[in-house]
Amino acid sequence: MSRSASPAQGGGLYKSRRRRERITGATSLILLLLLSAAVIFPIWWIFRSSLMTNSEIYAWPPAFFPKEWLFSNYAKTMDYFPFWRYFRNTMIIIVPSVVFGTLTATICGYAFARLRFPGKKFFFSLCVGSMLLPTMVTLIPLYIMWTRGLGLSDSYLPLILPFLCGGGAFNIFLIRQFVSTIPRELDDAALIDGAGHLRILWHIIIPAIKPAMIVVALLLFIMLWNDLLQQIVYINSSEKFTIAIGLTQFKGSLGSDWVKIMCATCMSFLPGIAFYLIGQKHFVEGIVLTGMKN
Amino acid sequence: MKAASIRTADKAPKKKKSKVAFREARTAYIFLIPAFVGLVVLTYMPLIAVGVLSFFKWKGAGTPVFTGISNYVNLFTVDPYFVDSIKATFYFSVLAVVGSMLYSLIVAILLNRKIPARGLFRAIFYLPYILPAVAVYIGWAWLYESNFGLFNYILSQLGLDKVNFIADPSLVVPSLALIAVWLSGNLIVIFLAGLQNVPRVYHEAAEIDGANSWQRFRHVTIPSMTPIIFYNLLMALVTNLQIVTPALALTGGGPGNASRFMTYLMYDYAFKKANFGYASAVSFVFFIIIAIFTGLVFASSQKWVYYEGGDGK
Repeated sequence: MSRSASPAQGGGLYKSRRRRERITGATSLILLLLLSAAVIFPIWWIFRSSLMTNSEIYAWPPAFFPKEWLFSNYAKTMDYFPFWRYFRNTMIIIVPSVVFGTLTATICGYAFARLRFPGKKFFFSLCVGSMLLPTMVTLIPLYIMWTRGLGLSDSYLPLILPFLCGGGAFNIFLIRQFVSTIPRELDDAALIDGAGHLRILWHIIIPAIKPAMIVVALLLFIMLWNDLLQQIVYINSSEKFTIAIGLTQFKGSLGSDWVKIMCATCMSFLPGIAFYLIGQKHFVEGIVLTGMKN
Repeated sequence: MKAASIRTADKAPKKKKSKVAFREARTAYIFLIPAFVGLVVLTYMPLIAVGVLSFFKWKGAGTPVFTGISNYVNLFTVDPYFVDSIKATFYFSVLAVVGSMLYSLIVAILLNRKIPARGLFRAIFYLPYILPAVAVYIGWAWLYESNFGLFNYILSQLGLDKVNFIADPSLVVPSLALIAVWLSGNLIVIFLAGLQNVPRVYHEAAEIDGANSWQRFRHVTIPSMTPIIFYNLLMALVTNLQIVTPALALTGGGPGNASRFMTYLMYDYAFKKANFGYASAVSFVFFIIIAIFTGLVFASSQKWVYYEGGDGK
């Protein structure tokens, strides 16, 4: 937005504009600092509460830092909140779902971006429609299908298998969008050399759209990570609980032992933060590159 | 549009190309099998099924009994929760959508200025979005705690009385909506990507014409951003109307019926009371509501969304 003026033309107009720019820049920075502090602060408060003693957490006025950083609270919490089991169970759902979803979204997105076939428009509008259809609307029939029809009650499969089907219309679009930014000359040349579409997809397209695939994988991860409704509906036995269900139950049974609840909350925050730090560069890059056009 | 132009282009060398075209179409269909199965089996068939089931009484066992529209009649006349749940859902959605759109647009505009450490700021604003929703709501429950919570401390510092936030029927929905706004980091990233795509030449042209920064924002940035605003509005609307996690994890629909959102009501009827037919009617009404809302957004979009001519860049 701010255009750098050429220093050679340091007339009065430019000077005043540069000063104005500097002022708006400074106010933006101050606003951003305040806003980001407001965004971070709740997380800090939750974390600081998890390290306190019971008397400290209920002190008034509250302290901003724990007197002693009681990481032992976490060990105590784990006696009641089997984090690692919940984590493993969550991963049993997330890992195959993310892999299946990303791969099938890539295949479908490629077909929409590159291949010509009758009925493409119709098919495409079906996809658009499904994007706006909430999970909750189809949940009851799907529940009946999985549990009564296929006998999959108390199983992870109803949560995983749908991801063999493209990982949602949005992700198919994202891939399609990205594939269409890649020059066609490459795959035309490969076609002339006699390569099939699967080979083009594998050797030319996939290496070129890796950032988009990482975005899709992360979006799927976040989606599954945030889900509670479907997990509660399909999973019954406590050995199979995920982090989301486990945390809900934990809060329900402990009521107001806030130190332990905050420990469990922070533990549940961690994997997401870790994955984000690993994927962050690709993630933001991918979204910016994809441009979210249309 | 694209498909049409391709079809006419194909017409001339029809014979030679037909075999290639056939093979290409065959590959496409094979590649699209996953999406097709997903659309038919996991999306559109269940949609029809939920509509059909809503005309039956079925408690999960025995044969469903056809009861006509009585489920719908009961919902709107007898049911003690249904109308309240529509109100709660709307109330939450309006607050959350308006709040998160304004918040994320403002943050995105600030981030689009020339500022140091933009990457770090962007990461901070995005952070809440990647935390698991359940943990976020439970963590915030402590901040909202009636006696010792952070927000009550802040209120007391400002000389105000303590309030119960999520334990108060009149405050629970705004309190939850504030969390939803806090969580909307994804909108920021998309807005920011959009702002960076606004062609600089437009700004320069406006500047030469003597437009000040507010005029440039109002008449250049906003119009070029309308497709992104439209997209984010639609997504925020569909996401927030489906709100259920805080009710499942925290409030159980309370206090009173204040946070008994429609999805929670459906969950309660179907999966706790095994009243599948009746719950399907809730789902179907919800589907109609979503359809109306998205229809309205789409219809209005012709008035306020500007697309650049052609394919863009």
